[in-house]
Amino acid sequence: MKINVMQDVLQANDRIAEENKQLFKKNRNLVLNLMSSPGAGKTSLLEQTAGKLAGKLRLGVVVGDIETTRDADRISKFNVPAIQLTTGTACHLDANMVASALPHLQLDKIDVLVVENVGNLVCPAEFVVGEDYKIMILSVTEGDEKPLKYPLMFKESALMLINKIDLLEYTNFNLEEAKANARKINPSIEIIEISCTKGTGLDAWINWLTAHHKKKMDALPHA
Amino acid sequence: MHEMGIAQNILDIALSAANQEGAIKISRINLVAGELRGLVPMQLTFCFSIVAKDTIASGAYLHVEEVPVSGHCNDCSADFTIEEYNYLCPKCGSTRIQVTGGTELRIKDIEIE
Repeated sequence: MKINVMQDVLQANDRIAEENKQLFKKNRNLVLNLMSSPGAGKTSLLEQTAGKLAGKLRLGVVVGDIETTRDADRISKFNVPAIQLTTGTACHLDANMVASALPHLQLDKIDVLVVENVGNLVCPAEFVVGEDYKIMILSVTEGDEKPLKYPLMFKESALMLINKIDLLEYTNFNLEEAKANARKINPSIEIIEISCTKGTGLDAWINWLTAHHKKKMDALPHA
Repeated sequence: MHEMGIAQNILDIALSAANQEGAIKISRINLVAGELRGLVPMQLTFCFSIVAKDTIASGAYLHVEEVPVSGHCNDCSADFTIEEYNYLCPKCGSTRIQVTGGTELRIKDIEIE
């Protein structure tokens, strides 16, 4: 006997993501799901961001890695609350894993919560965790054809940061080609070139962050 | 290996639908998967066979129907299939296109005994 099911496979995840989202709304948090391949500079970006946001917006971080708490340790040095999720074998964070971290954070004392996903260009793009925006980092040492090879992440991201821009001259990375490839998949993607080690472009990134924080706060009913 | 988590979700949904019907066995699951999901059907069916072990879905055939990426042109209203991630309207060359298919991931139906 055949029975109709017609159910989204990820509905269980989506339901928990929606609960997270309501919690973030209540606590007035802008939430970003930060994705990239391993070593593209997610943690370096957060270290820089922590420094630049100090005194302006309060940052919080949930960080996922397969093993070790090194990333959370790096971020905690900046007096930013950081919760490490070690995923064991999982290649991405899902809504439930993020939900399990939230009781350990004082969400009402956080303005911007960044979920630093597991380094991977494929799986994290599949799962919503309750974020307002997915954002990603592509570093120039990875290659300008990556948007075409891993289209979902580029399609899902509102912003692409191109990191390690200071190393551009030592690589065969074609900046215009990379941007064109990303825009081919996602015409509305915003792109900012940065270098976390030299500080290039970080003001533009902070402006993006504060503008999107303001946009969300303006849309929420006043506390 | 996001296939493993997805296989578990497929199993959960199929088991709950089968239980509602009082089934004693699930023999087939028809899944629709968009190309943008980046799933590898062979890996998915393998993962499924592992998670389904010792359940009424053990040995069930998981059929994966792959859906190509499709788009709609906001300029000339053409509908088309997007191949090789070429997000351009094949008719007028516009980049103002909307992805209309290829991200779905759902269980269409199951066959039970």
